[in-house]
Amino acid sequence: MTRSRSPRARPKRRSNGFHPFLGWALKLGLVGLVVLAGYGIYLDAVVQEKFSGKRWTVPAKVYARPLELFVGQKLTKNDFLTELDALGYRRETSVAGPGAAVVAGNNVELHTRGFQFYEGLEPARRVGVHFSGAYVAGLTQAGGASLAVARLEPLLVGGLYPAHHEDRILIKLEQAPPYLLETLVAIEDREFFNHHGVSPKSIARAFWINATAGQLRQGGSTLTQQLVKNFYLSNERSLSRKLNEAMMALLLELHYSKNEILEAYLNEVFLGQDGQRAVHGFGLASQFMFSQPMSELKLHQVALLVGIVKGPSYYNPRRFPERALERRNLVLDVLAEQGVVTPEQAGIAKKQPLGVTQRGSLADSSYPGFLDLVKRQLRQDYRDEDLTEEGLRIFTSFDPILQLKAEAALAETLKRLSAGRGKSVDEVEAAMLVTSPETGEVQALIGSRQPRFAGFNRVLDAVRPIGSLIKPAVYLTALERPSQYSLTSWLSDAPFSVKGQDGQVWKPQNYDHQAHGNVFLYQALANSYNLSTAKLGLELGVPTVLKTLERLGVSREFPAYPSMLLGAGSLTPMEVAEMYQTLANGGFNTPLRGIRSVLTAEGEPLKRYPFQIQQRFDPGAIYLVQNAMQRVMREGTGRSVYSQLPASLTLAGKTGTSNDSRDSWFAGFSQDLLAVVWLGRDDNGKTPLTGATGALQVWTGFMRKADPLPLDMPLPDNVIQAWIDPRTGQGSDPSCSGAQQMPYIRGSEPTPGSACGIQAPAGEVMDWVKGWLN
Amino acid sequence: MSKWLITALAATALLSGCASVQRGAIPVVEAGAPVSDGEQVAGGGNYRAPAPKPQAVTQDSGVLVMVPGGSGASSAPIQSYPASSGPIVGSVSGSAPTALPGPVTEQSSPGFKVIKSTVPSGIPNTAGLAGDEQLDGPVLALLTTAQQQQSSGDLNGASSSLERAQRIAPREPQVLYRLAEVHLAQGDAAQAEQLARRGLSYANGRASLQASLWELIAQARERQGDPAGAAEARQQARINL
Repeated sequence: MTRSRSPRARPKRRSNGFHPFLGWALKLGLVGLVVLAGYGIYLDAVVQEKFSGKRWTVPAKVYARPLELFVGQKLTKNDFLTELDALGYRRETSVAGPGAAVVAGNNVELHTRGFQFYEGLEPARRVGVHFSGAYVAGLTQAGGASLAVARLEPLLVGGLYPAHHEDRILIKLEQAPPYLLETLVAIEDREFFNHHGVSPKSIARAFWINATAGQLRQGGSTLTQQLVKNFYLSNERSLSRKLNEAMMALLLELHYSKNEILEAYLNEVFLGQDGQRAVHGFGLASQFMFSQPMSELKLHQVALLVGIVKGPSYYNPRRFPERALERRNLVLDVLAEQGVVTPEQAGIAKKQPLGVTQRGSLADSSYPGFLDLVKRQLRQDYRDEDLTEEGLRIFTSFDPILQLKAEAALAETLKRLSAGRGKSVDEVEAAMLVTSPETGEVQALIGSRQPRFAGFNRVLDAVRPIGSLIKPAVYLTALERPSQYSLTSWLSDAPFSVKGQDGQVWKPQNYDHQAHGNVFLYQALANSYNLSTAKLGLELGVPTVLKTLERLGVSREFPAYPSMLLGAGSLTPMEVAEMYQTLANGGFNTPLRGIRSVLTAEGEPLKRYPFQIQQRFDPGAIYLVQNAMQRVMREGTGRSVYSQLPASLTLAGKTGTSNDSRDSWFAGFSQDLLAVVWLGRDDNGKTPLTGATGALQVWTGFMRKADPLPLDMPLPDNVIQAWIDPRTGQGSDPSCSGAQQMPYIRGSEPTPGSACGIQAPAGEVMDWVKGWLN
Repeated sequence: MSKWLITALAATALLSGCASVQRGAIPVVEAGAPVSDGEQVAGGGNYRAPAPKPQAVTQDSGVLVMVPGGSGASSAPIQSYPASSGPIVGSVSGSAPTALPGPVTEQSSPGFKVIKSTVPSGIPNTAGLAGDEQLDGPVLALLTTAQQQQSSGDLNGASSSLERAQRIAPREPQVLYRLAEVHLAQGDAAQAEQLARRGLSYANGRASLQASLWELIAQARERQGDPAGAAEARQQARINL
């Protein structure tokens, strides 16, 4: 490069001494040389700059919750195997290494893969799981000693892609499975370890083959050239580009080792298209095709991936399995021919099926609704470039097993409703959200009746009137005043009207257009009576009820109209879940979260989204509201659940229906699961569904599949159970027929009733029996 | 002609060389050190206290009104459990999932249970939170891990392990107690108090744990500049011991 100055002067001086033509030729030649040298320097800079810097931008990866294993965990063997399948565990006859599983009766032996979590490294290890019923009954490690707790690696459920949608999982050369490098070299560039970036031998051979075949059969490109082409150059086909490619290949080889180049190639090569996402590199391709980490691939899988390199869409094994199979077997033949494997090995591998997983069974972006939630929460803390380029690892609370159950319940219920209630159900859209009431973590999310369809996310964006879902807030407001209200306070369910501030008259009505006279407070909630609820709400004051709503976790503001008491205000399903979460969690509010932690691409802890709670209500008042909400399920508008669920399963919830059945809601919870379901039309048209006949059915179907734990709120210190006469609400005694227990805030219970007449004779009867026996 | 071509080429080579070099250095510019202080509040709504203190105080009195003075116990020193020092002793017990309680729970007549605090005299002062604790295998293992992380100064790691334990046993007050303790060590006294309160709601019948939870609430209130509230909590701690 230091020479570039001097040649410029020389031609000028000597030009007159030579033949003009020769002089010109020399001049041009020298100019050419200089240009070439300058260009070489430029190319060299380009080659080095990109190769030594950060070679690729990698989209953030989003992981589901890791499945925890411990004795006593509620987990069926079937669900466990579903998870193992999604993670690409191979069912084998003996556990040979990471990613292998052996199923024998109620025992599953497996070798986990290990993973770097926020809290630390989970080692890859052998684990034995013994199932009994719906529980894990035994957990052992290698050698049979018992193991306290272990977890599987988390399922990759999506990524956050930049505009060009190029995705990859970066891998190191050491992670390459057996045969991968040999196969790649054998098929794509036999001379790789001998040439200097360009292989004249290969070009000659390719030329010969193409000439004899009369068509473009084979390229003479080395792996280095292919890498250069993909890495630095555009897709155009021209001689100048070819020259560029050759020069850059030479330069690349000059600066970097064969191994470095090979590793870059493994990460760069394009291997398939997944919708808008371009699958680059063997790391991602391995997950994309087989749901397995690259290091675990077997010979036949390696042969398929290497075979695909030649034409990722032409040999797409999902679309053209025959072509792909033929290509794979050709690759295996070549390997045998070149002595990379024995003919027997090739023969065995050729007998294997393609082994490509079903598209969509777990594949990336299968859960657009949940990923949408994750993205929105992340965008509050990160710039877009950080999310799409830095390869961040996002750990979420997403539970693929619950998600699949929610999706199945929704699809089955809509199908059944459509059969029973006609075509109008087909226009109905849906949203569903499942959370853990105790931790506030979002576990499943469905934003559309087509859960795979990324579009309007109704869980987050559909703002709809909540109808009677608001009622627990009214009753909670009342029950916070134990000196005035208890579950057995009498309310009047009778027609009335009030004049609002704007002069308009508000005249609420019951759903059945009947008045129910004097009812217990809990009955008004259980049966979702509008008249008594509205009257109670007006006694308490609309602003007070709205304040309760706010304390429950609803940040949206509403005008203090009386109609708010019956749910004229609109919320998203997410906001409803936030509100019910506080009711389910003993009066402690916790912001709903989808993300647990974020790690850098290298596995360094970056950020945590910690569990946060705040007590908003007296546990006693919450206990009473929960009791009334349990009665919704036992004897009120939600009682149809127990036609499908066991009576031992205590649940609490509330139906909601807006005017003319435009919105069908159900929100309810068990001890460990909270689910909110909304059904309605996007155009806000009428539906044939109430909260009970629509959303509740989906909810019930989900709970049946999820098999939750019965609700069991610990009795707060200020609550007592009193025996009452269920007809009068007066104190009674357990000895009286029909007497029931009812919880009260201490001091607000009715005076205990006296023992009933039968009690005394009972003793006499015993005496009589004793006497008779003697 | 050739002159300007060369210079132009040289210039472009130079320019493009320079212009593109900065690319390699785009670090994640996120919130500083990885394992450090600023554990920020979760993304979404940070609903801060529409009804914080007065609400809290009435609840306290609501929970434990019936307790007589507690003056007798005042002589006994309140040990503030240095929970990270003592070993966690646990026994494997039947785990929660099998219970099938109805709306009416077993402990249907807790009466004035708070008073029954028959001081478990056998518990030596130093023994962490041992006495009345019944912990499951996995929870015990995770609490031990968290304790190691905490003593090595990795508070974020410790909370993360504790939250893992919480997901496994959401109603185990000991987990909430530890979580509160870590929050207190991280300087988040308000959250520490809330977590301890949640722990109390699950700690029925575990007197010594209740006492330590109250003691932790007292410390958290002190840090929040509420000596009166702290004294009140200390009173409760004494009663529970």
